[in-house]
Amino acid sequence: MTRIWNVVRLHLVNRMAYVTLPWIILGSAFLITIAIWMILRSVGVTSGFDGSASSPQFSGALLSILIYLLVAAVMAINLTFPFALGFSVTRREFYLGTALTFGLVSAANAVVLTVLASIEQATNGWGLNGRLFTVPWGGGGTPIEHWFGFFALQLLFSFAGAAIATIYMRWRINGMVVFWVVGGAALVGLFALIAYTNSWAAIGSWMTANGTTGMAAWSLLVSALAGLAGYAMLRRATPKN
Amino acid sequence: MTDTSAVVSVTALSKRFGSVTAVDSVDFEVRENTIYGLLGRNGAGKTTLMQLLTGQDFASSGSINVFGASPVENPDVLSQICFIKESQKYPDEFRAKHVFKSAPWFFTNWDAAFAEELIEEFNVPLNRPIKKLSRGQLSAVGVIVGLASRAPLTFFDEPYLGLDAVARQIFYDRLLADYSEHPRTVILSTHLIDEVSNLLEHVLVIDQGRIIIDEEADALRGSATTVAGTRAAVERFTAGRTLLHSESIGGLASVTIQGQLSAFERADAADSGLELLPVSLQQLIVRSTNTSTHDFQASA
Repeated sequence: MTRIWNVVRLHLVNRMAYVTLPWIILGSAFLITIAIWMILRSVGVTSGFDGSASSPQFSGALLSILIYLLVAAVMAINLTFPFALGFSVTRREFYLGTALTFGLVSAANAVVLTVLASIEQATNGWGLNGRLFTVPWGGGGTPIEHWFGFFALQLLFSFAGAAIATIYMRWRINGMVVFWVVGGAALVGLFALIAYTNSWAAIGSWMTANGTTGMAAWSLLVSALAGLAGYAMLRRATPKN
Repeated sequence: MTDTSAVVSVTALSKRFGSVTAVDSVDFEVRENTIYGLLGRNGAGKTTLMQLLTGQDFASSGSINVFGASPVENPDVLSQICFIKESQKYPDEFRAKHVFKSAPWFFTNWDAAFAEELIEEFNVPLNRPIKKLSRGQLSAVGVIVGLASRAPLTFFDEPYLGLDAVARQIFYDRLLADYSEHPRTVILSTHLIDEVSNLLEHVLVIDQGRIIIDEEADALRGSATTVAGTRAAVERFTAGRTLLHSESIGGLASVTIQGQLSAFERADAADSGLELLPVSLQQLIVRSTNTSTHDFQASA
């Protein structure tokens, strides 16, 4: 257990990777969004996506931190994994420590994001009727719903990044080619299945019925599958020069 | 040959990558508290062998015993090993200070004061991103971890690429001094054979995936002689011996032969006007891993 915890410390020893950089990135995306909203307001654009005067402006800036976490997870497998093996860590210890790091980082970030979401709600969208942190809930949601949603989303991006990087670590370029070709084909097949069975409406109503929190709960299942797949693959992976 | 003090024992070990056999049915043992040289040409299988011994790669067949068990995914074994390689990757945005801060969490024998001394001696900039270090500084980071970790079994795979002669000498001196105070097993792979030849106690030479020499360094140093003189005299003297190498210019010849010479033979050589020259470890290994000389492999 100490050795697994040491892997967590190894991931966090450099504050840059998991503490400083993600917030610099999200902070910049936030400031850029605020600037754009102010510019729009100053030229007289007050309506949002549906054209009505009361509708808020929505921003996808939240994606920046999620994409960053995906990249950080890729780096954790590509660089920290070979490094940790040099420090005589087993693959099992490395993977469990890495998964624990994802969990802790996601939980802590989710607290900060929840506070920001609450501020956004209390200030009527930063005084600009904007929606950035509460986008997944269409501007609504309670702090507990917010925390859970942020937590689940970050886990999903982290474990997806780690699983994809592990395919590369295990099978190199061949693994990547097979993954993207098979993955692309599967997506097209899924699209065809839904289109031919005319299931778009059913899927839409299933998602609506689940709500954001329900979908976040479902995403935990996907994260767990990615996590298990990553673990199984990493157990036989070899770092190469 | 069974030795109770063996920390590594390898039997019929092979590693194949597709059609390439990187390690080919290798058997050897490594004694406790000894400095080993793992020597061989590029691509001979040195790094692959070390990756197998440290559980970083998986054997195709055969068995590996390190501290009495398989090293693969074995925390009890791995916690006693430190593996420093030339091509070591570091996490993104890492600085040298992060390496030295985290190393003690993983190496229980870590000596922080010793590490500090080495950092000063090698002049490693702690606050510069690893990506921006020179090749020599990067190697120094690895060398410091390898020395200060004091792992019972330490592997150095070409540890000093880019280190200048002064820094290399610091490494040899510090390794030898620390080794005599804190005995441990060190396996050093290198191209700079003559530089380390006084350091090594035992030599393993790997060529095309096979161990072709497994010998005490002292025994090896006296195991070959170069005979130089007139071609006729040299040919008469070396007849019936195992030749490692021969070259001739005009009427003169120089031939390297395997085996110790007796006092009688030495006197005979002197009488025939022949010159006897010692063969350095490096020359010996160059002669024996030169692929055109297969007779030596066959008789070794």
